[in-house]
Amino acid sequence: MTEAPAKMTATVVAEFAERREAVNSLKRRYLRQDFIAAAVLLAIALLTPTLPIVKGWMLSQASLVIIYVIAAMGVAILVGYTGLVSVGHGGFLAIGAYTSALLTKHFGVDMIIGMIAAMFVSAFIGALLALVFLRLSGAFMAIGTLGFAFFVGTIVNNVPLFEGRDGILLDDNVILGIKIGDFGFYYTSIISLALITLFVYCVVNSGTGRAFMALRDSENAAMASGVNRLLYRVLAFTISAGITGIAGALNAHIVNYVSAEVYADIWYSVDILMAVVVGGAAILIGPYLGGFFVVMLPFFFEQLADFSFILKGVVLIIVLRFAPAGIGEILLRPFQIARSRKLRAAAGSKVD
Amino acid sequence: MLGQQILSGLATGSLYALTAIAVVLVFRNTRTINLAQGDFAMIGAFLGVYFLKQLGLNYYATILLVVASCTLLGMTVEWLVMRPIAKSDWLTLFTTTIGVYYILHGVAGWIWGRDTKAFPVTFDPTPINIGGALVSQGHLYNIGWALAIGAVLYWFFNYTKQGVAMRAVTDDPEAAYLMGIPVRFIVLLSWGMAGFIAGFVGILIAPIIYVSPEMMDEVLVKAYVAAVFGGLYSIRGAVIGALLIGVAENLAGGYLGSSVKTSTAFVMIVLLLAIRPQGLMGIQKRREI
Amino acid sequence: MDEYLRCQDILVSFGGVVACNKLSLTVPRGKIVGLIGPNGAGKTTLFNALTRFQSYDSGNVYYEGRPVDNRKPHHMVHMGMARTFQNINLFRDQTTLQNIMTGAHSLMGDPFSAMYWLPAARRREHEIKERAIEIAEMLSLTTELENEVGNLPYGYQKRVELARALASKPSILLLDEPVAGCNDDETRELKELVFKVNREMGVSILLVEHDMSMVMQVCDYIYVINFGANLAEGIPDEVRANPEVIAAYLGVEDDE
Repeated sequence: MTEAPAKMTATVVAEFAERREAVNSLKRRYLRQDFIAAAVLLAIALLTPTLPIVKGWMLSQASLVIIYVIAAMGVAILVGYTGLVSVGHGGFLAIGAYTSALLTKHFGVDMIIGMIAAMFVSAFIGALLALVFLRLSGAFMAIGTLGFAFFVGTIVNNVPLFEGRDGILLDDNVILGIKIGDFGFYYTSIISLALITLFVYCVVNSGTGRAFMALRDSENAAMASGVNRLLYRVLAFTISAGITGIAGALNAHIVNYVSAEVYADIWYSVDILMAVVVGGAAILIGPYLGGFFVVMLPFFFEQLADFSFILKGVVLIIVLRFAPAGIGEILLRPFQIARSRKLRAAAGSKVD
Repeated sequence: MLGQQILSGLATGSLYALTAIAVVLVFRNTRTINLAQGDFAMIGAFLGVYFLKQLGLNYYATILLVVASCTLLGMTVEWLVMRPIAKSDWLTLFTTTIGVYYILHGVAGWIWGRDTKAFPVTFDPTPINIGGALVSQGHLYNIGWALAIGAVLYWFFNYTKQGVAMRAVTDDPEAAYLMGIPVRFIVLLSWGMAGFIAGFVGILIAPIIYVSPEMMDEVLVKAYVAAVFGGLYSIRGAVIGALLIGVAENLAGGYLGSSVKTSTAFVMIVLLLAIRPQGLMGIQKRREI
Repeated sequence: MDEYLRCQDILVSFGGVVACNKLSLTVPRGKIVGLIGPNGAGKTTLFNALTRFQSYDSGNVYYEGRPVDNRKPHHMVHMGMARTFQNINLFRDQTTLQNIMTGAHSLMGDPFSAMYWLPAARRREHEIKERAIEIAEMLSLTTELENEVGNLPYGYQKRVELARALASKPSILLLDEPVAGCNDDETRELKELVFKVNREMGVSILLVEHDMSMVMQVCDYIYVINFGANLAEGIPDEVRANPEVIAAYLGVEDDE
């Protein structure tokens, strides 16, 4: 009797699936320019409020962008670096938002404490979710996370603690006893983003990041290199959820209001994923670009609300058609090419 | 009463099932998770309202027109949007359908407005007595249609040349291509069928759910959960999953309170995936060495 | 411990097909052992069972005398076992250096110290990088160190695959058809490498291969399997002369 086929796939369908499974639009290497670009953007953002023309509402709008960028960073860790697609991060956003909301409302804590708590709670649930979805990958994972987002939405809608559609009205934001307005909130957000960006940079360039990317590019090769699939999957989810949880907390406090109306939908999940894919999933400034795009597009077309939806969809389709690895990748590509060329020349390689 | 709950669950379940079939069809031929599937039905529902109210057309003519329009919509999406990127990875394909989702949402809101509307055709609320149980006419109607469409699909896949060709493409697209099967046409046909089914779902579900751009969001998620029951590959599995979801959520809603209803689908998928990641009857890619 | 890796009566079946029918073999410390057999004989399945990528219905695998039947693949790496894949399984869009450094993952320590760049982790990372470059030099991979491996020649990719396996400082190396698809020059190079790794670095090796000349020249001991079961074993000269082995290979070319 003959041995089972060397490739132990269940059917040919699975083989066909295998060819498409690799998410090749995500794989781009880290570049130093990437980090510099992010640092520059952050520096600009930090200094802009000092300009006289900047008004409070502008900072609010900018804060909203920052919130999305942070949320997108969370998704990027999972999708871009570990290769696990989540269409459910709206769930973590909600978890973060409500955790912070309830803590500040009922216990009068600082917004910062709220944010930290949001991070931990969200991270914990992320870890649980990773365990539940341990055996999933690809399309199935996406659907599973979609279900998760919906589930969180239902909980938020129906469990009395969360006040469903009526929502919870929060008091003014307080940090270290001081009430903070638009400026204060903006700086809190920017500093949070800066710290998160630094953290993501550190993770991605460490051995831990290598392990994530190994799992993304080939699970079998990763395991054969000693990567503990369970540990790193859970870790990736934990970090990803924690970061998005922070965004959730900020999202609650920027309007001082949480309600099921906002959080019990799939909009956030889809929007954040979109931001990551459009901006570039495996690039540090990807979430920056994506977050900006997702928030500012409806803003500029606020008058024609429905038209902005259509425009969003059209732009998304066009970007994916011509820049599937994201806009960030297009921007960084000249640097990448130059670097490769330089390295080849230096090494005297015969291959081109 | 238990029988009533179950029947009403089967009725909604059969609509989930139709959507799930459409989703599986597109997925197994193109490896695309189509997030816009729900919106195909949504557009169908809006068109239905338009034809019935604005144009005063007869109900059956409306069905015909709506189904035809949605079929056309499906094929247009494939030809215009998906075909140029047909060779991309699945995430790109999926996110592109998100783009279509946004567009359809925007178009519906723009043309017809975002507020919810009632569907102008409702069923005679007097229940029919079947074997002692009082059964709503609406439920029977939906189940009837679902069975009819199911029968048509069954006939299509087993007895028509195109249907058999489509199954060949599913099993091995390269071999099918080498055998002379027009794969591109089959893909177009798959999307067309997805639209075809969506047209029916839109008309059938509209009396139950109010018509709005968001109406199909929840249904779509449940349809996907159902599709996972079949490993995103098996129609039979998807149908069974959908019916299970419909019945389970109705029973849960009846006995545990309506707030539990929507989360049943997720709980089910968690249990299923924890126990059997390949889905009930489907095949998830096994680890390849 | 004289034996490094041993398996006893491994049985693997898929549905109705028996891929491994009570296979047994031993890799003694410091030796190069070959595993040969006609196509479809069950070699790769056994390989996967030994590296714990494949579960088996019955039988045992012993590493350094200890049973490892309940271990996961990554455990084996931490215990000192490394493997290559038949159809090279590289991280195509990552650089050579990244690929090799990933191979050294077991030397990294815990993920938390690493991701926060704590001093101890920083040192380890430096060591990993140095080791990776060292191995790259040994395998002549330095010219393409910072380039993506996906676009590089096949022979080069094969060497990267080997380099990645070596990065973890393995005590035993399992090579799955290391010279498949290689031309004569490449084959010769890899043969030298295998000798070097074994003689100079003391790494035990289990080798699955179709290239008979390579197997005969390189191995200290050979197991022949056919139809999923042990057929013969012995030193190369014995195996070469064994009539059953010859019969099994009748009609099969020497060099595949």
